[in-house]
Amino acid sequence: MSRTALIVGTLGSTLMVSAQAHHSFRAQYDAEKPIEVTGYVTKIDWMNPHVYFYIDVVNAQGKTESWAFEMGPPHMLEQRGWKRNSMAIGDELEVSGTRARDGSLSANARTVKLRATGQILGAASSEGQTITQGTTQGAGSGSPPAR
Amino acid sequence: MASRSVRKRCAVAAVAAAAVAAAVLSLLPAGAQPAAEPGEPAAKPIPRNADGTVSFAGTKDDVGNWEGPPGTSLANNVSADALAPNRLNLPTNLSVADVPFQPWARELYDQRQATFTKDDPHTRCKPSGGARLFHTPYGFEILQLADAQEIMFLPVGSPHSWRVVHMDGRALPENPAPSWYGMSVGRWEGDTLVIDTVGFNERFWISREGVPHTAQLRTTERISRPRFEQLRYEITIDDPGAYTKPWSGGWNIPWSAGNEPFDYLCQDNNLDPARMVGPQE
Amino acid sequence: MRHCRVAALLLVAALAGCDRGSDSADAGRPTPRHPDGQVRFDSEPGGRGYWGQASVGSLFEKGVQVAIDENGLLANIADAPRVAPFQPWALALYEHRQRNGLKDDPTRACIAPSGPRHLHTAGGFRIIRDPTYDRMYVLFGGGNRNWRVVFMDGRQPPNPEEVSGTYFGHQAGHWEGDTLVVESSGYNARFWFSNGGLPHTEALRLTERFSRPDFETLKYEVTVDDPLTYTRPWTAEWTVDWVDGGEIAERFCEDHRDDLAQSELGSVGE
Repeated sequence: MSRTALIVGTLGSTLMVSAQAHHSFRAQYDAEKPIEVTGYVTKIDWMNPHVYFYIDVVNAQGKTESWAFEMGPPHMLEQRGWKRNSMAIGDELEVSGTRARDGSLSANARTVKLRATGQILGAASSEGQTITQGTTQGAGSGSPPAR
Repeated sequence: MASRSVRKRCAVAAVAAAAVAAAVLSLLPAGAQPAAEPGEPAAKPIPRNADGTVSFAGTKDDVGNWEGPPGTSLANNVSADALAPNRLNLPTNLSVADVPFQPWARELYDQRQATFTKDDPHTRCKPSGGARLFHTPYGFEILQLADAQEIMFLPVGSPHSWRVVHMDGRALPENPAPSWYGMSVGRWEGDTLVIDTVGFNERFWISREGVPHTAQLRTTERISRPRFEQLRYEITIDDPGAYTKPWSGGWNIPWSAGNEPFDYLCQDNNLDPARMVGPQE
Repeated sequence: MRHCRVAALLLVAALAGCDRGSDSADAGRPTPRHPDGQVRFDSEPGGRGYWGQASVGSLFEKGVQVAIDENGLLANIADAPRVAPFQPWALALYEHRQRNGLKDDPTRACIAPSGPRHLHTAGGFRIIRDPTYDRMYVLFGGGNRNWRVVFMDGRQPPNPEEVSGTYFGHQAGHWEGDTLVVESSGYNARFWFSNGGLPHTEALRLTERFSRPDFETLKYEVTVDDPLTYTRPWTAEWTVDWVDGGEIAERFCEDHRDDLAQSELGSVGE
């Protein structure tokens, strides 16, 4: 990377408005513990102050674990490409995020990829992380097909 | 990929440039229209109310509100294991070492920081006066009601309530009943809104970082709009119960273009209190 | 003949005065207005005040005679079917809530007493016009001292399939003469929109009509349209008195929520 590009990139990131949360990210999540899982949606709580969704993940030992992920508040997500029906029970997701400090199977989501459509949506609710606009991969763009 | 030393020099240069920019912005007199750099679009004029006072709102064609920056703090915590001072903090903010804490207050502040502010009452949906409203995310409106001689602050975030500042020249009460927002009276000093508040209870934190306060707290807030896109917020903490003398701090608040008030209720499904465990040994 | 003509003229004049309501000699102080003529729902310049006591304590269909106290409790549970045109499941739920003494009321966890219920919640409220944008706000002194925003720019509600239901709904307002009409939809079902526990679903649509026939009086009419809960739309109405010179005191439901969590309510709260 050229020196110029690195300076511009750094200044750009300092000028972008960071994602917002009403609580201390650090008190709940450990930035040293990133995580990526793939699983199937079992529950969605589209509520304030944070949307939570739950997915069943098969771990390396072949055991099914239930993971909880936190995202931002519904309105902020709906302004950033999410719809209330963007994900549904049974959808397969790839989720990247940051693990909870309390040792539970839960994390703060950073991005969510909807496997069926390839759509990637930003979900960060944590301080200091920029809510990504997300990108759409695969055929077509826009929202998943109506159910 | 550039070498490690080059990346380090570049990062230092970037942080320094941002700090210089912030310092320049903060030094602009309130109400000034900064000249545009050659090739840049002209700075947006700052709207004014019919009575000539600065408007803190947008315009019919330029809707938006103020997005409280969550990472800001009244004091700069520059200790080795702290988060770096937020770039939006005022350049005049004290470092924590220079804040005139009473010993118990410093001890409590350190404990709140060490536990990553996990006990913040605001995250339990409690109303929070003082500076806390000004770094609550999701946006807040400022309504300047000339007929009612009031200025109102309407944050979307917890607790989705409204704070009143009386602009009718009334005196502050001598023995106010303690409340979450206190009793506020305001006046203009040029283009700066100055708000005096007394009568706080002790059931909340006056800022996210957890600087303590007591019921003796009196605050003076100064709010100005150096640029259309920037609100400058500074608060003076005068609390002999917690500090040996008054001190001040604050931050710049960015304009959130297009943002509108929306529905938000902290009590809906708040799982945070049980999940904010702080550092785990 | 001449006397008849004079009498007719007097009658016409009297009727014309009645039509203008607030300007007639029998009304209170006239309806205050903004310089542009729009009705002012807040105090006059230099004045103070807020909307206080409602003329009835709870929400029930207009024209029905029932004994309901200011907490929404029926004096006689047998009156339940007459309160509103319930679907059978909704009547059963309403009766259950009433028989339980309203103990499952979400306001105990400081969930907002949203919808028309706010006007039956002690603490008062104000209706403010935004000085810059096409909006009105209702600021509540009761419940957890929340506010609701009414957009006056003619925007359409979002698709409820795509946007989550909220506690205050999507609110769009317009004027019909001197009446502020607010149409709202997009509610969730996690609150009680009446203090007596009348049920609703996410299909709820409300049409509220606010008018100020004289300085001291707010006239409020609400039409409830929720075909999943009620067999037809139905309307309720009441008036609210202006508290001249008063200021809404700062009170939050959160003042005592933690105490409630310690009580027999069990898991309500944290």
